[in-house]
Amino acid sequence: MADSVFVIRQRTGVLGALTSRKWWEMLFLRIATYIILINVCFVFLFPVIYMFSTSLKTVADLADLTVLWIPRTFFWRNYELAISGMLYWQAARNSIIISFGSGVLQTVACSFVAYGFARIPFPGRDVLFLLVLFTFLVPPQTIIVPLFILYRNLGFMDTYFPFLIPALFGHGLRGALFILVFRQFFRNLPYELEDAARIDGAGPFSVYWRIMLPLATPAIIVVFLFSLVWHWNDFFEPTIYLFDQNNFTLPLRLSILSAALLQMLAGQGAGDEFNEAVIMAASFLVIMPPLIIYLFTQRYFVESVDRTGLVE
Amino acid sequence: MQFEDNFFWVAVLTGLAFVVPACILSIRVILSAVGVRLTYKFQRAMDGYFYISTWVVGFLIFLAWPLFQSLYVSFHNVKITSSELKLTFIGWENYAEPFLEDIHFLPLFTKTVANLLSDLPIILVFSLFVSILVVQEMPGRGVFRMLLFMPVVIGSAIVIRRLFGEGVSTEAIGVSVQTLSEVVFTYLQGTIADWVLDLVNRVTLVLWRTGVQILIFVAGLHSVPITMREAAKTDGASGWQIFWRITLPMLSPVILVNVVYTIVDSFTDPFNEVLTYIQTVGLTRDFRLGYAAALGWMYFASIFLFMALALLISSRFVFYAGER
Repeated sequence: MADSVFVIRQRTGVLGALTSRKWWEMLFLRIATYIILINVCFVFLFPVIYMFSTSLKTVADLADLTVLWIPRTFFWRNYELAISGMLYWQAARNSIIISFGSGVLQTVACSFVAYGFARIPFPGRDVLFLLVLFTFLVPPQTIIVPLFILYRNLGFMDTYFPFLIPALFGHGLRGALFILVFRQFFRNLPYELEDAARIDGAGPFSVYWRIMLPLATPAIIVVFLFSLVWHWNDFFEPTIYLFDQNNFTLPLRLSILSAALLQMLAGQGAGDEFNEAVIMAASFLVIMPPLIIYLFTQRYFVESVDRTGLVE
Repeated sequence: MQFEDNFFWVAVLTGLAFVVPACILSIRVILSAVGVRLTYKFQRAMDGYFYISTWVVGFLIFLAWPLFQSLYVSFHNVKITSSELKLTFIGWENYAEPFLEDIHFLPLFTKTVANLLSDLPIILVFSLFVSILVVQEMPGRGVFRMLLFMPVVIGSAIVIRRLFGEGVSTEAIGVSVQTLSEVVFTYLQGTIADWVLDLVNRVTLVLWRTGVQILIFVAGLHSVPITMREAAKTDGASGWQIFWRITLPMLSPVILVNVVYTIVDSFTDPFNEVLTYIQTVGLTRDFRLGYAAALGWMYFASIFLFMALALLISSRFVFYAGER
């Protein structure tokens, strides 16, 4: 669109452009687009800004209605309280193990399985793929009790294995969706590459590992980031499988933060230090790591989405 | 976390993930070593099973078996004693209870379905609209895209949901709930007013659920061949006509994907009221595992029907460009 504005101006000069109806139409459309997009982005940014701004407020600022966005003083003690109250580093370590571990395992396993579904004709493929989609439909609550009993019998309670082991099999949190993404991606790749590799004597595993997987970088980025973030934010499954507070992930820690802080501060007689702002500081600390990862990878991420052939 | 007790089973399960495909691979190797001549078709089929066998094993352990067990339990009354679970067969009683005795489940269920039906068009139209805006070449496109995909990253976080629970959502669109309800009740009445209010209360939350959908639409819009649009333009079609006659039909499979995704996403969302209720009944409040399993199965069956219906209806409208 920018090009056509430029072209019109070149043809008729600045004065001509100003009088041309088309030029005004385009200008209007462009401005409208920006206004709408800025509004939408504001809706998406609002909670994050709200969270950050509240997290820096003192008790006085919280009560003061004239303080809207920028607190009078930046009260970093809220963050100190949040970090000590949540045992942030320990919880972050647990979260990292679960989300990175399952992320890596799910990416590898799902791409492996999806490759079979996408490229190799075998009897029963369509039925099995329908089963994959079927697993996507099963609500977690329907099977949670038998799974709980299964993991308890295996001695997996209070460990990370209930998250890691299903991921290893290409299941786990939304595994079916990741298989679908990889399948769509692999389907668009040229067949000549793997044919050539097979003729040169590559076995089925090395065709996948040395030829197809390196080509799937865009899909890998998308799936890994999704898996990472969804595991990081996951609340339901950790509440079922983790009891010991030392094993809690960040969202779990956040949910017991108020109780923990009250207990921590009870002896010091400083109960009023604990407030909404501390909770906001803690919440911000919980969503910060995925946000930072997203900020660094978003360029590849946005590009990859165009190239995954996520959609045919 | 102690490692010794569970090491055995971790090793067994991890081993299983590798041994099963290895077995399938070795069948082929052994057969050809023995001197059996394998057809190409057979070899390829074995390759296929080699890749997917891990998933099939996982499916049996982590899905089919638990599903079967919960189906089995749903026909029983479960008593939890200190050492074991005691099952007594009671037939269809658990399935009849939500219709005959339980006053909570059906209203929650209809509410969830009604919410979905009103959210679905909003989510679809909104995400399609935004993604059309954001695929245009213009300065700042990257920043907009980055922000628009952000709900994918943090939207599922419990933090965000809690914030919306505190009324931050309506604040974001700049209305206070009180003035809004005054306005709404002046012009509308009764159930409709309630419904409108509820919708406005949820609208930002609904928008927050559009991250993945926008992403899918953007990818889909990029795959609409530009040559088609140019051909239409040369023939004198207006932008409006191009959208309805070319972009939308070409996009219809993507719309279907988004419909399916939205339905699945809202039905299987663990914070969904029906699912929380099932959890309360089964795991926290009453420990009525049998009844919870029955509710879970009924819910699952209704999702299945809903999805089948959506696919059936949409298959009439979806246009596949590759199909001949």
